Amino acid sequence: MEPRSRGRGGGAVARSPVRPARRGDLISNLVGFCRLLRGRGLGVGPAEAADALRALAAVDLLDRHETYLALRAVLASGPDAQAIFDAAFWEFWRFPESAAPAETGRAEELPPIDGAEALQRVLREWGEGAGGDEERERAPAYSPAEVLTRKEFGSFSADELDEISAVLAAIARRVATRVSRRMRHARRGRVLDIRRTLRRSLRRGGEMTELLLRERRVQKTRIVLLCDVSGSMDLYSRFLIQFIYSLQHVMGRVDTYVFSTGLSRITGALRRDDLRAALDEVSRQVPDWSGGTKIGRSVQSFLDEHGARSLSGRTVVIIISDGWDTGDADLLAAAMRELRRRADRVIWLNPLLASPGYEPICQGMRVALPYVDVFAPAHNLESLRRLERYLAG
Amino acid sequence: MHPEIARIRDLLEVGGYIADRTIATSVYLSTELRKPLLIEGAAGVGKTEVAKVMARALQADLIRLQCYEGLDATTALYEWNYQKQLLHIRISEGNNRPLDEREAEIFGQPFLLKRPLLDAITRAQPPVLLVDEIDRADEEFEAFLLEVLSDFQVTIPEIGTISATAVPYVVLTSNRTRELGDALRRRCLYLWIDYPTFEKEIEIVRRKVPTISAHLAEQIGAFMQMVRRIRLEKTPGVAETLDWSAALLALHRDHLDRDAVLETLGALFKHHDDAAAVRSQWLGLLLDGIAALEERGEPWSHEAVAEAAERLPVRP
Repeated sequence: MEPRSRGRGGGAVARSPVRPARRGDLISNLVGFCRLLRGRGLGVGPAEAADALRALAAVDLLDRHETYLALRAVLASGPDAQAIFDAAFWEFWRFPESAAPAETGRAEELPPIDGAEALQRVLREWGEGAGGDEERERAPAYSPAEVLTRKEFGSFSADELDEISAVLAAIARRVATRVSRRMRHARRGRVLDIRRTLRRSLRRGGEMTELLLRERRVQKTRIVLLCDVSGSMDLYSRFLIQFIYSLQHVMGRVDTYVFSTGLSRITGALRRDDLRAALDEVSRQVPDWSGGTKIGRSVQSFLDEHGARSLSGRTVVIIISDGWDTGDADLLAAAMRELRRRADRVIWLNPLLASPGYEPICQGMRVALPYVDVFAPAHNLESLRRLERYLAG
Repeated sequence: MHPEIARIRDLLEVGGYIADRTIATSVYLSTELRKPLLIEGAAGVGKTEVAKVMARALQADLIRLQCYEGLDATTALYEWNYQKQLLHIRISEGNNRPLDEREAEIFGQPFLLKRPLLDAITRAQPPVLLVDEIDRADEEFEAFLLEVLSDFQVTIPEIGTISATAVPYVVLTSNRTRELGDALRRRCLYLWIDYPTFEKEIEIVRRKVPTISAHLAEQIGAFMQMVRRIRLEKTPGVAETLDWSAALLALHRDHLDRDAVLETLGALFKHHDDAAAVRSQWLGLLLDGIAALEERGEPWSHEAVAEAAERLPVRP
């Protein structure tokens, strides 16, 4: 259903200046608009629609720009949401091109509407249009530029998988615990907990007979994994995906991405309980398995698209790649520098590092190295076992 | 325009803040709908200033809660005045009143130190509560704050539940170093503040540094528009523009040239890598851009400056 068609003949609001001829029209149009936004992925429900209605009652409806600003402040709660809102607004409230804001005679303003009343009105309208426009929106977009190559995954023997899991559990535990700045009380802490000490002393008439202590709380570290699955990493990719799968299962807070020329987030796919099903899903989900490598671009797009959500002073970023970069070296350096600054630690695991005579001379690796805290091999189980030492710090 | 929005816009102007209607409308709606206002934007665009203006518009007090990593509920709410409690225990040592009574006494209001959140909900007149840089506090604190913002009451085990005497106006700011939770976003009105446009920035410079020549102000404005296209550790904001303008003026510079910029680089770039990158890599190109604008002769417009900025070889 077209949202606009709910407006009983277009609705007075769609004309400019915004003039509610009948109040019912404004509300049903507003609800229609909110449902459109919801269909496009904004978190807009009846409560937000009710706030929008209250906002409209508070501003000058004759003023188109003001109406727009008011609705945007209420309904779009982030920069991305604002972009979606902008497109939807001008689409939905179609104002005639020529309409100049009328200077004479204010439109009849909505009387002040309180929260409960607004919600009631909105809810009445909200139910009527249910089930229509949400599904209409958003067809999945595919980029034809990416080479779509599906990979067959083999499987490791059950013994090997068990061993991997055991090693990884040990590694993950070491990585996962870090000291927080928050305190909690503890029997063998290092800082005096004056609040509890005083409290306890009251039992003895204000005499302090024992000191209660607190210590810093151990807090979970977040891990972000960026795994290179390009052609040059082909030999290792299969193994590494299993590594990642185990890591993600041992620790709750792992966010996983794979990259070659572009970046894909596979955290969701790896969340499946069954490793084989997870691997299948990953191979289906990742469009450019074993293409070339653009490490800089991939890291940058991670920073831009996911950085705000997944990076903090408590995030350890692990990059698994051989460093053979076919992209722009300056871009890689800039991206690595930003990554280093926004994360707690950057660990680079390189499967080639163990090969005799390997030196990190390929351009990508050389450019990235200054921004890496730990640079270690990762080519077999043995190397992963040794890794524990690096991650413990 | 709604008269109240116009009034807030004027107040923003008086505060040296050249406001656009977006900010004024958001501030007005936040006070009118009594919903917290969440302001996001890069560092240095003047987010905190908005809360100050809101307080002035409402003639209310401003209470500020600066967030930092490790900030917890207790620090934000209340603390007991331990020294005073200890003294009180010592003073009342001789009397033989029951323990309960003495305990109740030292955990009473006179021994309570109000921290910003508790302070904000126990005033006679509703104040403006500024929760600054909420993104620096952790998720646990965010959840706690959400709770306080929903109920406007807090529970202190020793005293009981304290409900708000007046519900404060709330402004939250975030530099987006981490993404805030959806629950918090949905509770707030949202305002995004961008870096100012060329014209707006010149006006800000002229107003805050009135002795500056029109020509230098234009050059500074254009320089800033270009500099912000370069990927830096810390993109300079309006505060840096003003510092820099003052620095140039203090050195009696009336136009931008290589020496003038090099001497005052520290006012503009607060990060060593940025200063180094601009000195070695970008300065020539930036000054070329200014020179190109000079050659056009006509008054510098937003478009002309944008065009010059476009020519910088920055990667997308």
